Amino acid sequence: MGSAMSASFAPECTPLKKRYDSCFNEWYSEQFLKGRSVENPCSKEWYAYSACVDANLVKEGIKPALDDARREAPFEKGGELQEREQGKEQEKK
Amino acid sequence: MKLFTSSCMFDYPWEQVSAANWNKYPNEVSTHVKAVDVLRRELRHGGQVLMTERLITVQQSVPRWIMALVGGSNLSYVREVSTVDLRDRSLKMRSCNLTYVNIMKVYETVNYTPHPEAPQGKTLFEQEAKITAYGAFTRLCNSMEDFSFKRFCDNAQKGKRGFDSVLEVFDQEMDTLGLSQLVSRVNETVEDVRSSAENWFQEIERKCTILSDYHDFFSEAFRRE
Repeated sequence: MGSAMSASFAPECTPLKKRYDSCFNEWYSEQFLKGRSVENPCSKEWYAYSACVDANLVKEGIKPALDDARREAPFEKGGELQEREQGKEQEKK
Repeated sequence: MKLFTSSCMFDYPWEQVSAANWNKYPNEVSTHVKAVDVLRRELRHGGQVLMTERLITVQQSVPRWIMALVGGSNLSYVREVSTVDLRDRSLKMRSCNLTYVNIMKVYETVNYTPHPEAPQGKTLFEQEAKITAYGAFTRLCNSMEDFSFKRFCDNAQKGKRGFDSVLEVFDQEMDTLGLSQLVSRVNETVEDVRSSAENWFQEIERKCTILSDYHDFFSEAFRRE
């Protein structure tokens, strides 16, 4: 399922993304789900793609909003909204 | 503010659903999703937990009159953090909009877990969204005669019925908003909005659609500073 892979928000990154995605998808089904992997996969493809994305996040002006979101709901916490923000939400009720 | 929950079942094992999740877009239904990018990915707990941060790029098919009001780009962005945990076969995704955050935020949580009655063959999908409206949006609503923020929120919480009544108010109040130059155009196309909303709700009932649609529709509709 899902043979067609999605584009990157930055057209110049799309070829790098497709390379990374196809490597990752293979790894996910064949290694990760079977509990066979202990290392983050596809590092070569990842670094190429990731560098392209990071540069374009800045160029497109998305970075500041992203940084705010990361502060509110850190990756390390699984993207869960943190207490301070939840308190703010309560006030709105 | 809890606004929306839904659940449904997939007739596929959890492993397959979780793998398909990475390839969900593009698809024929969610044509509004234009791009999906991976921002960060880490493998933890000896290879048992995979965490991923993604950027979802959404382009709405916004009615023409809304585009006339807001101008500019109809692209918006959503950040998502997902956790795949092999130890309990769970996939949890949390997301929030990055665009129009001064107006409102939609926090969505999605859980994919093995279905309790058929854990090897079926997957349960559960979705919850919370909408929080912020200062700019509140002030904007307060500035409109007879259009209180509270009324909007109360109505919005009633789901489809609420949405219709908001649209009615929107319709009635259009003349008093000080947008006289736009009123004639708006009157012509209010029906257009209503049918867009109708279509959207039909879609969500059918397919457990992503809530970003909802957010974008409202934020686009009420953003006219």
